[in-house]
Amino acid sequence: MADSIQSFVKFVSRKISKIKWQPSQKQTLECSDTFVTGSWDDEKNKICLWHLGMQESMERDEMDDALEPALKCEADHNGDVTGLEYVGSDVIVASSSTGSVALYKHHTSSQTMGIQYKWQCLHSHGNHLCPCTCLAVRDKTIVTAGEDGKMVVLSAEQKSPQRIIENADSSTINGLVFLRHTEVISVNSSGQLKTYDLRSSSDAPAQTLSVSGELTSLHSVDRHPGQPHIVATGSGDGVLGIWDLRQEKSPVSLLEAHNGPVWEVKFHKTNSDHLFTCSEDGAVWHWDSSLVGASHMVQTQITGTGAGSGGANFSVNPSFQFGGSETLNKWLSPDNSKMEINSLIDDNILPVNSVDIESQTLLCGTDSESIITIRLPSMR
Amino acid sequence: MAERERDIQTCCISDTSCQFGLQSVWGTGNQLFLFPGKNPLLSNERRPATGKNEQIREVQWDIDLHHPVLRKMVNDSHNIFVNLQRQATQLTGAAFHTQILNSSRHYRATQKAYLKDLDDMIGSTRDEEQRQQYMEHLKLLNISELIWSLCEILFIESPVGGLVVPKLLDWLKLHFITAGRLFDDLMKEEQPESKTTYWDTIFRLVLQGQIEKACRLLSLHSARQTDDFQTLINLLKRMPQLSNVYKGSSVAEFDMKWRHWRDECQRNYEEQKFSINPNLETVVRILCGEDAVFSEVKDCCDPWYHMLISKALYQDPTVKACDLHYYIQGCQDAYRSTTRLGELDSILLSALESDVYQVIKDSRTVFSNGWFVAHLTDLLHHCGQLDSHRLQFGSDLQREFLLLEYAGSLMSHHSLWIVGVSYLDHCAEFGRKYLELYLDHIPLDSEKKANKILKICEDRNMTEQAKSICKVMGMRCIRNKRLGAALTWFLRSKDVGFATVLAEKYLLEYSESGEFTNLDLIDYLGPSMLLSNRLTFLGKYREFHKLYSEGEYHAAGDLLLALLQARLAPKQFWITLLIDALPLLEKTELIFSSQQTRELMKCLEELTTEYKLGKKRDGLGFTEARKDQLDVLKLALSRNLPKAILQEGTVNLL
Repeated sequence: MADSIQSFVKFVSRKISKIKWQPSQKQTLECSDTFVTGSWDDEKNKICLWHLGMQESMERDEMDDALEPALKCEADHNGDVTGLEYVGSDVIVASSSTGSVALYKHHTSSQTMGIQYKWQCLHSHGNHLCPCTCLAVRDKTIVTAGEDGKMVVLSAEQKSPQRIIENADSSTINGLVFLRHTEVISVNSSGQLKTYDLRSSSDAPAQTLSVSGELTSLHSVDRHPGQPHIVATGSGDGVLGIWDLRQEKSPVSLLEAHNGPVWEVKFHKTNSDHLFTCSEDGAVWHWDSSLVGASHMVQTQITGTGAGSGGANFSVNPSFQFGGSETLNKWLSPDNSKMEINSLIDDNILPVNSVDIESQTLLCGTDSESIITIRLPSMR
Repeated sequence: MAERERDIQTCCISDTSCQFGLQSVWGTGNQLFLFPGKNPLLSNERRPATGKNEQIREVQWDIDLHHPVLRKMVNDSHNIFVNLQRQATQLTGAAFHTQILNSSRHYRATQKAYLKDLDDMIGSTRDEEQRQQYMEHLKLLNISELIWSLCEILFIESPVGGLVVPKLLDWLKLHFITAGRLFDDLMKEEQPESKTTYWDTIFRLVLQGQIEKACRLLSLHSARQTDDFQTLINLLKRMPQLSNVYKGSSVAEFDMKWRHWRDECQRNYEEQKFSINPNLETVVRILCGEDAVFSEVKDCCDPWYHMLISKALYQDPTVKACDLHYYIQGCQDAYRSTTRLGELDSILLSALESDVYQVIKDSRTVFSNGWFVAHLTDLLHHCGQLDSHRLQFGSDLQREFLLLEYAGSLMSHHSLWIVGVSYLDHCAEFGRKYLELYLDHIPLDSEKKANKILKICEDRNMTEQAKSICKVMGMRCIRNKRLGAALTWFLRSKDVGFATVLAEKYLLEYSESGEFTNLDLIDYLGPSMLLSNRLTFLGKYREFHKLYSEGEYHAAGDLLLALLQARLAPKQFWITLLIDALPLLEKTELIFSSQQTRELMKCLEELTTEYKLGKKRDGLGFTEARKDQLDVLKLALSRNLPKAILQEGTVNLL
């Protein structure tokens, strides 16, 4: 790697549970310079909007400053923030551990933020509320899931829920992501990945896939930006799973990675050969599959991708080469040993709850009450 | 960091039921539970009944560490702390000592960074009360940084050849910035000598050893060309620099040079070269280290510890840290009339007297939040400054006690508890016990939080705590009628008992409604079902239904029999199993072999005898409907047997 990784740690006096880039405007090619964070486990939780100096055309010696986020505005949030997404460019939807979901509007003219609408009591056990665990957004449609096993479909423009799938799951749904316009993928705490067709009249999942072997929980899920049938999941025992929804009943590959629950997995939106994971063990890993299957020469064969804690085992960038088919997507290649894995923040101790990447800037939200911004070298 | 004497916080409780007294019990960390009543003097003495609703009140007090700015410091310093503990296991000797010094500087940098933050906030806030609060924090943080840096010089840095004065001068320069500021102001003036501060500034600079700046100011004086000025500037410029000792020249060499130089100053002074200008004379008297002159310029080297360093500089520049205390009395006496010695003074005094324990003890009361003492003591411990023989409990426990105290205040915070965990990890003696107790008290608001705490337990092999967390979460799910979710928790903690209970609940639901719930979980149990026999049975039984509905009758029949033979099924479920065999027996195709049929008959026989016995014993037996079903089953079995024998025989004959 030609240039090194630069990072900045900003302490924000609240544990960050979710961090999210504002989606870049489609009309312009410029990258977004705004992101939103949600906090958890505090007496007063907050949704905060941050500004980061322009990502592009930055002089090297100014980099340090450019990586320091500046607070734009904030709003109070009731309960832990468990899910956070943009619905459009200035509306943010946040789910709460109190079972409600709220829309926050960012008023750009006055640089303030306020609640636009709040769906109360979406998730509950009978009379008493239970946490909403995650949400997913596609256009104006919001899907939420809770510890009650319910899934609720909302429209950002409509006050009453569009649909409630009462018994979506017997165990808790921990992660949601849209597969296509009307289909969502969910992962649960018994190691299953399910797809739901929101148009279907049945409440049953369209497809159920599962991790075989010992029961393990899945905590996070993301879908390949170009090929939606490729899905990555993060599990409670630190394993990164790659799934192919077209054929398999179980994951294509399970890569032992972190030494604790993987709270988020995220594909790079434009460089889909790159994937990022963050974990309770305090590490953030960059998975680079761009070299997988690139060469047909078999050099070294090392089976397994076992990794110790903190990514120490990967600090030497293992460059194993394997033959592979060019036509197959790199993530599905049966030999993933040529995957390059980098640990990005070695000196972090406390859990990293959330990551998001836009262009070359990675954001991490941690339990040490900090936001870590990392500038990565350009990606292949 | 409230100073003990000033802030006594009061909180009024207006409750008439408390008129007979108030009792209290400690909660976790900064928490107290209050309830009405008084301690009974005699065991039979009863509290008078007030006839009112008596309430238990929870009293919590915020400590400044919970303030947003200081919270940043808590998290920042946490990293330094953990890294140092890691290094302690890897490095030894000089390399480790360098690391300790780095950590100390890092801690100070943290304090300074947040001083700046506080300063900015004081500038931007409009709320007077808040400003006052910030000022208070700022003041204490300033003091803590001042003490820390002195301790760093005296206890951690241990300069080359035991020389402390150069470091102490740096310390003066950093913390007594008036001299530098006045100098900057004067340099902007056209005629600095006309300002009243001119000579004061020169004295201050000389007293802090900032010779170069003093010379520059002197050279701006209109009389600079006169002999006395020139002589003095010359003397100042030739003052031997202590910093050269670091650059290779020996202490003895320096000592010699210094003595020569001072003799020269003395000679010039005695020759009355400066008698025309009393200010110049004062400067030269300082250079000579004359005892009396320091009292004369005491306003320029206020407070006493400033004077102490100035005196040390001119009277004995190569003084060792352990000898500094000889100067203390004289310097304190010079200021005694004007100011009372405060807490800060006594801490610095102890530091200069090399009394580490007193420093720690006093700091603990001044900085009530524990941050300061916990981190400083840890550093001193790693430096080997805490000798165990001087303390009743040994040095490890001194450090540990303070770390526990600090961790305790973190553990009582809503959010910072996670930082507290790390500190407890590094308390070898009691940390684990404390952590176990604290973890039991953290509310499990959501599954995610439960998962996080579970991970903390698992990392530390706290199986009991982990099991109890899973139990709490699982029971909560059961109460909320989320049996599937409950099972995932019990599987996680491998809780055989509760997994069995749940499996029985599922089976009960099935036998009541004829339908399975939570299929999405049961069908995917895989090897986890082996945790409990009942769960295995549930999984297998469900598999039987699946096979049956898929038309795999032979496999279904085999499985059913296997379930009966392996005695995995609870006895009361046998009937259900046997009746499930009925449709298989009634198929035109032969499912059960003669051997299997005999086995089934044996099971049926066993069951009926047991029930007959049971009926005799406690009057329980089959219902009429059940009896009918069993009769049908008996019939079906006896029909199947010849059919099977016949078929098997045919095969044999062929």
